[in-house]
Amino acid sequence: MSSLVKCPHCGLRPREEFTIRGEVATPRPHAGADEGTWFDHVYLRDNPRGQHREYWHHSGGCRRWLVLDRNTVTHETGDVVDASTLKTEGQA
Amino acid sequence: MRDFLLNNVSPFPAKADANGHAAVHIAPIATGFVTHVLGKGNAKADAAHLTKLISDIAPELGATLRSPSPGQWFWVGDCDVSQGRFAEISGQIPGEYAISDQTHGRVRIMISGPQVRDVLAKGAMIDLADGVFVVGASAMTQIGHIGAMITRTDDDCFEIMVLRSFAVSLWHELHQMAAEFNGPHAG
Repeated sequence: MSSLVKCPHCGLRPREEFTIRGEVATPRPHAGADEGTWFDHVYLRDNPRGQHREYWHHSGGCRRWLVLDRNTVTHETGDVVDASTLKTEGQA
Repeated sequence: MRDFLLNNVSPFPAKADANGHAAVHIAPIATGFVTHVLGKGNAKADAAHLTKLISDIAPELGATLRSPSPGQWFWVGDCDVSQGRFAEISGQIPGEYAISDQTHGRVRIMISGPQVRDVLAKGAMIDLADGVFVVGASAMTQIGHIGAMITRTDDDCFEIMVLRSFAVSLWHELHQMAAEFNGPHAG
């Protein structure tokens, strides 16, 4: 794993300051969606080889939730953005 | 405002200044206040706006702000603030900010000396180099596993703000980190 993560608020920080929550799930299904859709959303996770978007919490720094683009093969990290930006994208 | 008086007791050892002769000097900052100011997420909540606001409301306290997170600041100063005065100030802060006195919850430690950065490098994982972490800069980070805010107050002087319940642990750790410079044979 790359040891430095570029927090959009704090700059380059060691990965020890972060807590990894897991993949950014698909948009939340509507309340009336069938059981299978909800089961998928709540429990089933992909385990992709390659690019992966994950929620990271900068628990040792600004305490903001971030969305980090990571390659699960090379562990290279790409874009890191504040998770609140997903709201404006309509993906939260 | 609290309906009872807080008796602020220092978490540090009684003879905290016993290392006054050492190459790396570590001392608690016994007086002063720490106030947490939180912006309510609107565009107006920026440091310049808040600086002007608090200088107008409480000019006697200075307007030193350190930001741990976007839209949040620690307003820090060296003089003591009574709970009555704090209540006055919080009454005058406009609604786009929330303010909370954290003097009892976060304590400050001053660490200084020519080798201070070598000491901090043993625990802090951020770059404290001259060109990167200039005097006045501050960062919320970790020293070992303890969350702390590091502020550079002078070339060879840093201030560390830590949650009170971690203070003694960090205090001990800092002395261990500085021991090689403060030992009896230190040049």
